[in-house]
Amino acid sequence: MSASRVTDPALVDAHANSQLGPYLRGLWKRRSYGWYVAESDLRQRQITTIFGSLWHLLNPVLSIAVYFLVFGLILKTDRGVDGKGSFLLFLTVGLFVFQYTQRAVTQGAISIVANRGLIQAIRFPRALLPLSATLTETFAALPTFVVVYVVALATGTAPTWSWLVLPLIVTWQMLFNFGASMIAARMTTHFRDMQQLLPFVFRLLIYGSGVFFAIENYVSDQWMKVVYIVNPMYGFIGMARWAAMGMAMPAEALIASVVWTTVALVGGFFWFKAAEHAYDRV
Amino acid sequence: MTASEQIDPAVELAQLSVLVDDVHVNFRVYRDNEASLREFVRRGMRRTVDVHALRGVSLSVGVGESVGIVGSNGSGKSTLLRAIAGVQPLSSGRVLVRGEAHLLGVGAALKPLLSGRRNILLGGLAMGMQRAEIEARLPEVVEFAGLQESINLPLNTYSVGMRSRLAFAIATLRVADVLLVDEALAVGDQAFRERSLARLRSLRDEAGAVVLVTHNLVEIRQSCSRAIWLEQGEIRADGAVEDVLSEYSTTPT
Repeated sequence: MSASRVTDPALVDAHANSQLGPYLRGLWKRRSYGWYVAESDLRQRQITTIFGSLWHLLNPVLSIAVYFLVFGLILKTDRGVDGKGSFLLFLTVGLFVFQYTQRAVTQGAISIVANRGLIQAIRFPRALLPLSATLTETFAALPTFVVVYVVALATGTAPTWSWLVLPLIVTWQMLFNFGASMIAARMTTHFRDMQQLLPFVFRLLIYGSGVFFAIENYVSDQWMKVVYIVNPMYGFIGMARWAAMGMAMPAEALIASVVWTTVALVGGFFWFKAAEHAYDRV
Repeated sequence: MTASEQIDPAVELAQLSVLVDDVHVNFRVYRDNEASLREFVRRGMRRTVDVHALRGVSLSVGVGESVGIVGSNGSGKSTLLRAIAGVQPLSSGRVLVRGEAHLLGVGAALKPLLSGRRNILLGGLAMGMQRAEIEARLPEVVEFAGLQESINLPLNTYSVGMRSRLAFAIATLRVADVLLVDEALAVGDQAFRERSLARLRSLRDEAGAVVLVTHNLVEIRQSCSRAIWLEQGEIRADGAVEDVLSEYSTTPT
């Protein structure tokens, strides 16, 4: 068995933090790892079920059915949505956008802890792990965004040019998810209890970002409205609803989303990288 | 006296592959305290204890050398290897390595639910190899690890031996500048041990250096040019294989 040689040798400190340039280059060089993990994980996830890959589509459709039953038919939280499109589409967009971030960050949080074997065997820039988790969940979410178009057409929403913007919004959201994944991954490494806490954070967020109801029509207190609008998820959901069904969205939410994504991605990256050596001990 | 004082930098650094300079490692480990009131009063909420795993270890490995490390269980051998690999934070001291170090451990299960083939690809990609390059090497890796038809089965169906053969094959996909081997040869049948020893020898010729931790003294005699005896986090002996091993096996610990 022959092998290829690794590097041009130079005597270097094995414990020094790698510099930004080499770190990013190392990450870029390994980008196909991310694609391959996504492909492998998605295939393996459904391999033991009867419907197999169909679950990537069945799962979101069933969850929409459940939430539509509760919020659309029983509780009727559709005030303010009529006339601007159907409540079903409103709910579909909100839920799928929210679940995409929830799944990406939940998987990103355990990406270090769950890859112990790989971490202990091979040296590589550890940001590759939250990156791969984000990519995997992005691919897993793609069918749900196709469902959005199907629901829109089925409920008689006229196609507009803004439908073409939806993929851009998802890409923007992916950058936020990658940043949030790095933050969650470092927190989970230091503080394993994060894994237990995250579901509650997201449960609070899902009610706080207007997934099930239009905030303007249900929240009257000015300060509460501000809290809703600056929450990162509200911006993504608002943008996606604007793109899919032409709903107006406050400019503040757009600004908040730009700020959140920049802070999560840039701040998250440097904060994650600062603890690069701590991940070896998981 | 530290290793950097022992050597003349201008002359010797050029031929050094690994330099370990007065390295200390402290672990903080969680203890499972007895859940009694008396225990609580005595220790309070403190649930961690410090373990001093390495106490001022200094050594240097030259280019082309292969060093075997012996010592009883818990003497700090694995910690030392991890410190050289750069995956064990140091309390003090420093480690210099020429190029890239690969740590080869026992049965590192990469992704248990994925097939052996996918694990080889993932391992290679994480090391920064190109996919085409790995795929071209796949047949010889499969043959070397003796996995033939099992290569498409998930890793969790593998025996311990199969898993460590796969891990060994993945870790040796590329020639490391410094290869660190931690008991990786302890598992596997006689035929695989001979294959992997031969592989280690050829790697050592291509690589900068090899450091091998094992309880099997025969392996050290067969593949090392130097031996180090580590006990309670300190070096007890360092020198020619036969001298160190005879001292090690005659001293009661």
